[in-house]
Amino acid sequence: MSDKIRQQNENLKTLNEDYATKYGFRDPVDYFHKGAQGVNHEVVEMISKMKNEPRWMADIRHEALDIFLSKPMPKWGNQDLLGEIDFEKIFYFMKPIENQQTSWDDVPEYIKNTFDKLGIPEAEKNFLGGVSAQYESEVVYHSMKEELKEQGIVFLDMDSGLREFPDIVQKYFGTVIPAMDNKFSALNTAVWSGGSFIYVPPGIDVKIPLQAYFRINAENMGQFERTLIIADKGARVHYIEGCTAPVYSTDSLHSAVVEVIALDDAYIRYTTIQNWARNIFNLVTKRASAYKNGTVEWVDGNLGSRLTMKYPCIQLLGEGARGEILSVAFAGVSQHQDAGAKVIHAAPNTSSRITSKSISKDDGRASYRGLVKVHKNAENAKVSVECDALLIGEDARSDTYPTMEIDHDEVKIEHEARVSKVAEEQLFYLTSRGLTEDDARLLIVNGFMEPFTKELPLEYAVELNRLIELEMEGSIG
Amino acid sequence: MSNDIKMNDSFLIPDLSPELERGPKWLRELRYRSRDEFNRLPLPRRGLHLWRYTDPNKFLVDSNSVTDSSFGIDFESTAKDLLVQLTDKHLDGVVTDQGGRVIRVSLSEEAEKAGVVVCRLSDAVEQHGELVEKYLYQQVNSATGKFEAMNSALWNDGVFVYIPDGVTVERPIHLLREAGLANSAQYPRLLAVVGKNAELNLVDEYTGGSPAMDEGLSYSNSAVEIFGLQDSRTRYVSLQRQAAGMNSYMTHRAKIEDGATMFTIPLAFGAALSKANFGVTLAGKGTESRMYGMLFGSGRQMFDNHTMHQHTSGETWSNIDFKVVLRDKANSAYTGLIRIENDAKTCEAYQENRNLLLNKGAKAETIPELEILNEDVSCSHGATIGPIDPMSIFYLNSRGIDTPTAVRMIVAGYVEPTVSRLPEDLKERVRGYIMKRLESI
Repeated sequence: MSDKIRQQNENLKTLNEDYATKYGFRDPVDYFHKGAQGVNHEVVEMISKMKNEPRWMADIRHEALDIFLSKPMPKWGNQDLLGEIDFEKIFYFMKPIENQQTSWDDVPEYIKNTFDKLGIPEAEKNFLGGVSAQYESEVVYHSMKEELKEQGIVFLDMDSGLREFPDIVQKYFGTVIPAMDNKFSALNTAVWSGGSFIYVPPGIDVKIPLQAYFRINAENMGQFERTLIIADKGARVHYIEGCTAPVYSTDSLHSAVVEVIALDDAYIRYTTIQNWARNIFNLVTKRASAYKNGTVEWVDGNLGSRLTMKYPCIQLLGEGARGEILSVAFAGVSQHQDAGAKVIHAAPNTSSRITSKSISKDDGRASYRGLVKVHKNAENAKVSVECDALLIGEDARSDTYPTMEIDHDEVKIEHEARVSKVAEEQLFYLTSRGLTEDDARLLIVNGFMEPFTKELPLEYAVELNRLIELEMEGSIG
Repeated sequence: MSNDIKMNDSFLIPDLSPELERGPKWLRELRYRSRDEFNRLPLPRRGLHLWRYTDPNKFLVDSNSVTDSSFGIDFESTAKDLLVQLTDKHLDGVVTDQGGRVIRVSLSEEAEKAGVVVCRLSDAVEQHGELVEKYLYQQVNSATGKFEAMNSALWNDGVFVYIPDGVTVERPIHLLREAGLANSAQYPRLLAVVGKNAELNLVDEYTGGSPAMDEGLSYSNSAVEIFGLQDSRTRYVSLQRQAAGMNSYMTHRAKIEDGATMFTIPLAFGAALSKANFGVTLAGKGTESRMYGMLFGSGRQMFDNHTMHQHTSGETWSNIDFKVVLRDKANSAYTGLIRIENDAKTCEAYQENRNLLLNKGAKAETIPELEILNEDVSCSHGATIGPIDPMSIFYLNSRGIDTPTAVRMIVAGYVEPTVSRLPEDLKERVRGYIMKRLESI
């Protein structure tokens, strides 16, 4: 047994060797504005000036910077890894090309190359409603099908959103996640750049998912996207964010803020697959507010990065609101996926469901950190939480830290968690049917992930299965 | 750290505390070390997850306000009842401990003949010095935390229980720990060593304290260390029914070696504020630990309970079932940790926490945690919080049972899995405490 594992570990050492060619492609880039490292009020002012922002936004940025500087680093979570972040070594702003592109033909060749490897143009032709691709700190390419425009649906990068719809942005920006929320949301508020801005007018059903691809492509460069999604009364929208990133030699920080607002009777689903390079710190604040009979669903996959700390949150603020969080995490060699979910019930007859699945492999560590809070006025709230963890390898680690705070007796809460390895009986059964042990293990892992993958659009599901296959290859060897 | 709040001198243990001078040199050194640790350590930060729900200031005893005081009248009658049970051969031993100041021990003839030792901890230090030095402070000491350091420095006298190898004590040994009235502080301590292939049945009952908050507070800070040697079997019941003006702090640790079993039943009914921490370390192959906890809160009581099963050895098994019933404006926070270390292969660990809220205003929190550091395990935890299912009430109503009776029946059924595991003589008493709390439902 242990010989086999040693062999597996040997094989693992070579697992990521071809990562650079498979996923770690990186083009040399001429940075138009390569800002200086470190952050201060001058940098913030420069960012704001360069973007020609209204004064109120610049004021928000400066105020947030003060909050960022005054807040200590979090004292919980993976202290060793958090301690490695050096805020002085990070570039806070870069702008690869001067102007927003209007059509695909105008996009510079070198950036197109990168996207070709990701398969974006294909996907767009067939399927996408609009592509908003984040390359460096700002959106460089943006297209939207005519029919979306006709319906009055706004799908822009955040910078353009601020220029074209300042009133909507001013009304909602920072209302779900104030700069005060935590150190990283303060940092994002101070130096944000790029991200998506979506507004769906009342009663409109966006039939095709809106997608954005994110990439970051410079050493030591922080990415601080700011996304704001608003579905007006009775509107429906599905937004997909996915990313792969090149491999870097030094650590890089990704710290996004995503605010989602579902007004009365609206429906929003937000799907993410995060596959940052293995040296990236991914510290993200995501939160949604759902009003009367509104629904928000987070579908959240975490595969990449060195350390991810991400706890998508739903605040159920109106009667009958519903929230669902489905998340999976895969922690491979030296990764720590510290993911989770939060639901706040602040109105009667609200319901929520959290399903979390994690796989820890080799010395990977997956943590679930969750909060369910039911306020005094939330009569008849219903909550169900389920966490499953699969451990592969002698040194794999799994943690579960759920917290449930209930201020009301007319509430039903259920929480369950299970941790186990791949069952010998299942392996035996499958191998007795003629499968190799490797195939059997892969089949079991895919089955474990099934509740997540079946919620994804087809091409994402295929991509995810392929990624898992790749991850598993090493251990199966 | 620079941002520590400077503590008032009256919250420090002074140099001249008489307790520090008790015992032989090795003990005095450890007491002084604990005193230094207590004075040095800042109060636990509220951000730390074990202190999220309780203000540590509530357990800080102002040394100026403590005036040695008298004890409640109920104590004598409870003590008398226990001695009757001893003569009737329902118990094998009775210890009455009045705030560590007066400790009386009565032991059955059989137990004495078998070589069982139950005595004051101070006497054990003299008569069984080697044994005590080997085990005392091994699990609860100045490194455990600020308040554990406080007990380690200041315990006045405690109880020592030793069951020699191969000896079985069939009937329970009952410890009655009475706290003083208002403005008193006590630091009960228990050290129990269960020898190889021996069996111990221990009931640790905490009573007394200031009868009401407005009469002044009383403090209790208790430390329990239990060692189960190879193939030993231990059942330990902790029954906390202290008075309404009590701030109660408890740290309980047990460690079991190859083939040993540990059965812990923490029960809590009393005190204004009760923070208790029950931990079992499964340190040998084939060990098994079960915990069946229960608490019933009413009025404005606050309970903050932690349990921990730490598997440091492979081939171990643990299970926790912790039940909470709350009414009025009572609060409960439960944090339960299962930790399986990297070299503890082939383990199973389960945990369940159920919370029953009998009315609006009651509040429960539950944080079941898992830390699993290797793959060869099977673990699960479950938690629920909710009211009594209205369908169950409706069903009983339709059978002609009025609602208050129906509630009593349902609660009784809910706690029965824990109550049924108590020693015979305690079952009826505990059922009585539960029913008394449901009288005015």
